[in-house]
Amino acid sequence: MDPKLTEVSQLFERFKAAITRKDYDTCTQQLSQLKVMLTGFRSLPPLFEETPNSVHELTLARDIFEHAVLLSVKIEDQDAFERDFFQLKPYYTDARNRLPESPNEYMILGLNLLRLLVQNRIAEFHTELELLTSTALENPCIKHAVELEQSFMEGAYNRVLSAKQNVPNETYGYFMDLLAKTVRDEIAGCSEKAYDYLSINDARQMLLFTSDQELLEYSKEEHPEWEVKDGSVFFQKAKDSAPCKEIPSLQLINQTLSYARELERIV
Amino acid sequence: MAATMVSSAGGLLAMLNETHPLLKLHALSNLNSCVDQFWPEISTSVPIIESLYEDEEFDQHQRQLAALLVSKVFYYLGELNDSLSYALGASSLFDVSEDSDYVHTLLAKAIDEYASIKSKAAESNNEAANVDPRLEAIVERMLDKCIMDGKYQQAMGIAIECRRLDKLEEAITRSDNIQGTLSYCINVSHSFVNRREYRSEVLRLLVKVYQKLPSPDYLSICQCLMFLDEPEGVVSILEKLLRSENKDDALLAFQVAFDLVENEHQAFLLNVRDHLPVPKSQPSEAVQPVSSDPASAQNESSTAAEDVQMADGTSASVTTVPEADPSEVMYAERLTKIRGILSGETSIQLTLQFLYSHNKSDLLILKTIKQSVEMRNSVCHSATIYSNAIMHAGTTVDTFLRENLDWLSRATNWAKFSATAGLGVIHRGHLQQGRSLMAPYLPQGGAGGGGSPYSEGGALYALGLIHANHGEGIKQFLRDSLRSTNVEVIQHGACLGLGLAALGTADEDIYDDIKNVLYTDSAVAGEAAGISMGLLMVGTASEKASEMLTYAHETQHEKIIRGLALGIALTVYGREEEADTLIEQMTRDQDPILRYGGMYALALAYSGTANNKAIRQLLHFAVSDVSDDVRRTAVLALGFVLYSEPEQTPRIVSLLSESYNPHVRYGAALAVGISCAGTGLSEAISLLEPLTSDVVDFVRQGALIAMAMVMVQINEANDSRVGTFRRQLEKIILDKHEDTMSKMGAILASGILDAGGRNVTIKLLSKTKHDKITAVVGLAVFSQFWYWYPLIYFISLAFSPTALIGLNYDLKVPRFEFLSHAKPSLFEYPKPTTVPTATSAVKLPTAVLSTSAKAKARANKKEADQKEKAIAEKTETSTAGKGKSSSEKDGDSMQVDTPQEKKAEPEPSFEILINPARVVPAQEKFIKILEDSRYVPVKSAPSGFVLLRDLRPTEPEVLSLTDAPSSTQSPASGTTTGQQGSASAMAVDEEPQPPAPFEYST
Repeated sequence: MDPKLTEVSQLFERFKAAITRKDYDTCTQQLSQLKVMLTGFRSLPPLFEETPNSVHELTLARDIFEHAVLLSVKIEDQDAFERDFFQLKPYYTDARNRLPESPNEYMILGLNLLRLLVQNRIAEFHTELELLTSTALENPCIKHAVELEQSFMEGAYNRVLSAKQNVPNETYGYFMDLLAKTVRDEIAGCSEKAYDYLSINDARQMLLFTSDQELLEYSKEEHPEWEVKDGSVFFQKAKDSAPCKEIPSLQLINQTLSYARELERIV
Repeated sequence: MAATMVSSAGGLLAMLNETHPLLKLHALSNLNSCVDQFWPEISTSVPIIESLYEDEEFDQHQRQLAALLVSKVFYYLGELNDSLSYALGASSLFDVSEDSDYVHTLLAKAIDEYASIKSKAAESNNEAANVDPRLEAIVERMLDKCIMDGKYQQAMGIAIECRRLDKLEEAITRSDNIQGTLSYCINVSHSFVNRREYRSEVLRLLVKVYQKLPSPDYLSICQCLMFLDEPEGVVSILEKLLRSENKDDALLAFQVAFDLVENEHQAFLLNVRDHLPVPKSQPSEAVQPVSSDPASAQNESSTAAEDVQMADGTSASVTTVPEADPSEVMYAERLTKIRGILSGETSIQLTLQFLYSHNKSDLLILKTIKQSVEMRNSVCHSATIYSNAIMHAGTTVDTFLRENLDWLSRATNWAKFSATAGLGVIHRGHLQQGRSLMAPYLPQGGAGGGGSPYSEGGALYALGLIHANHGEGIKQFLRDSLRSTNVEVIQHGACLGLGLAALGTADEDIYDDIKNVLYTDSAVAGEAAGISMGLLMVGTASEKASEMLTYAHETQHEKIIRGLALGIALTVYGREEEADTLIEQMTRDQDPILRYGGMYALALAYSGTANNKAIRQLLHFAVSDVSDDVRRTAVLALGFVLYSEPEQTPRIVSLLSESYNPHVRYGAALAVGISCAGTGLSEAISLLEPLTSDVVDFVRQGALIAMAMVMVQINEANDSRVGTFRRQLEKIILDKHEDTMSKMGAILASGILDAGGRNVTIKLLSKTKHDKITAVVGLAVFSQFWYWYPLIYFISLAFSPTALIGLNYDLKVPRFEFLSHAKPSLFEYPKPTTVPTATSAVKLPTAVLSTSAKAKARANKKEADQKEKAIAEKTETSTAGKGKSSSEKDGDSMQVDTPQEKKAEPEPSFEILINPARVVPAQEKFIKILEDSRYVPVKSAPSGFVLLRDLRPTEPEVLSLTDAPSSTQSPASGTTTGQQGSASAMAVDEEPQPPAPFEYST
């Protein structure tokens, strides 16, 4: 076997060990090293050169990136998740016919969908969805994400929150927590539009808080423009309804005059 | 297994956000290779890549890579400016030699950018132009690459555009065909370098390069030097050539001189002549000093009984020189000749002989006009006189006038003035006998009682026309006449004459004389004085212009203002940007007449440059000025600016020609007439055709005249519309109900159409693409005839003979044959008209003509056959080298064809012309010199004066043009046929028709 490949797989083993040890600092360090080493392989995307070891290398690289994605969930780093996922994606799409299917594929794709949902990037969510095959849509991980999105769009927020109980994989927990916050933001946004003010009690219920204290903290952090007084929350509506547009009379007059002058000059 | 392709750049883009620099580098380099495919995806991440480029921590290579990537993305997004600035950031990674759209586009952009920065810097005279050194580096890399690859023309183009004369020189000197590249460069600098000073710089460089060559091309050098106005350089070259033992060098010197003369730059030519050493043996008084040394001026006027002429007088005196050093004698002899050429006398004399001997003007046309024009209508009467003068310009044939003295005497007052002046046009260039010819009409010193002032004034004007631009001998006489009279009309004539004779000499004394006339504030004399001052100062951009402008503001007479306005315009002739202040001043004036002068100033300052700024300005005035006169002139002026690119004019003025304003339509017609003169351009004719039947009379007039200018020397075989036009003219002239204005236009048009005995064309550019100053000035003043009919005669200045005149070492015209490889009918003279009005008689004379031609053909058949054989032999010998069989076949087919010749007589596909011959501009490309001819031209030129090298100097020469036309020609010999003297016995159309179709292959 290629010495370089051996070196990578050895490092990868150590990396996996570190994950199980939950030694995340070492993990990120080793991951970075791994990635740099991977750039040395010419069989990987975007080159996809045919080398004797290419299948082996591709599989290894895919494993590394899958672990990287999972690691990013564990350390709760959304940016890293996105980065690693995009680097992983070519192995699923472009190298599909050269590699045996990965057991983690649908789990990770589902995670990504969930992430997009959390970040409220609905357009991208649907783009990703369109790229999936019909069999993939049957997969519980994917199905879960799709159902969540539907509930979310319908406004059935309680269903979204209750879905936390039956996650297909334990890694989903992190995103489900985040989803609750996304849902709350949506509700807050809607309430702002819908009401001038709400009583604190109603607002607490509406925003799914268990205590008034939480509500106050939330309003202070996320919506400093809200005002809490007399037992009610006043939503400061954007009052800057644009003043009705002035007719640019002077400009129009000038234009008309110049047209008249030009007409005179027409040869 | 199918090759796997990436379907998205997402992974690589994600990698850019990694922390490890190696990963970023990996991502960048991979992105760079797939950017062509994935640029839409990458474009969303451009900010990240930009930040990589700006990150100081990265190493140079990585940052350049990032810049290159961004540049490519911007290129695909169509943001070329951003793309370029990042490409500059990529410095060496941007590979000039890469063959991709990206690189090509950006290179073009970079060069454009660089050129515009450089030219802007040059225009603002800002020496320290802050050019991005990286930009400069790219352009230099490109230039070096062009030179390395042998694409010299590209390199030169870029170098000129970017004002990199160092690179230009490098490109020229390293090219494999230096002569070719140099002449290409000269062409380019004339047609594409708009700024005058810069063009001078380029030319100066070219001269430098030329002089370094082992065998310099003196013809081109001298042309450059002329443009640069450096007579000393020309003189030293001429001297070197004349001193040479070799006869060929002397021939070359003569050729140089002829070429210089062709450009009609009188002041320059005089300068060259003054710098040439005076031949020792030459009697001193034969040389005319240009400076107005009072003593010699006196001397002159006293001996002025016969016009002073140096060429002839001195050639005689040279022989009387006591035997000196033979080489010195030879040198002196050559010097004399070259001085003769430079003074223009030799060429004028030869031209005169040519025009006289080949005169083909058709008196019947004039007769028709004369009969159909109503006697009492003085406008048409004098138009007929103008037409006659133009038709016979330079031919010295005044038969028509002599035959119709009675009719002529109806001209009174100003008509008399122009009738007399018309003699000047007819005898144009008759330098030796001009004075004696006009003597009966000239003011008789002191006595005053003689003729009417109108004919006296006209005679002075005529003298000016005869001596136009070569007035050395006549200036003094005209000055004296001007001083000794205070009759307005005579002053008018004298002013015009003086202006013409001293064209462009900027002579201070003459200027003062004319100024005195101007300050008398008489309308008639003042107008002529204004124009005359302009003529005197043509192209000098002297401060006199402001003096004239001040007076134009002071005086009350519109005529004077108009004369001055034109005069001021003339002073800035060809000065381009230098004239901008004056133009600005004039075009902003309250007085419409001065604005009108401003239009002329624009026209003349930018004449023939096709300068975009000038065109824009003129178009603006053409549609926005309140005065019709100014609008008309603005459109007309376009013709002057565009004459170097006649194809452009019809397109530019086509909209204006459909204007509701008749003045603008008139201007459009003349603009096309001026810029397309003599070209027969199809678009021009199509544009003018509808205008010739316009509803407004003066538009018809302008269109007819313009059409005639365009169709000069085009015959029906070339464009059938010429025939239609001729018939239209006849119809208008004969139609009793036609307006006087358009009738006058038609009469003038028939004159212009057959100008100079059908042997001249209107040409504003010399063969070397220089402006012909006299011609341009002539047309500019001619276009004033709107206000003052006598100015029509100025058109004669624009006529240039269409002839190939070969000269031997003695500057004589030897018999010499050459080939015009085209059907003779394409370029022959129009058929003489037959008896007019009587339609039934039309057929008869043609029949006579054809039979006589046949008879003659039979008579000359032997000769023709011999000639045929000679040519056949020639082809055989020429093709023999390639393969004998083919030549034999050629000969055989000839033999076979001969018996059949009688039957069909198809038109031959070539024609043998005999020196000197009429070669119309369209014919020039068909002219070939026979291979084994006795003479070989010094330079290959299809027309004009060509010096011939005699390969068999021992054999006796046969001269074909010998006799000068005698001025006092008897009327008896003045019939159309009689004019063809013995010299033209071999005239082109009498050539026997060669029998069989025959391909002459060279």
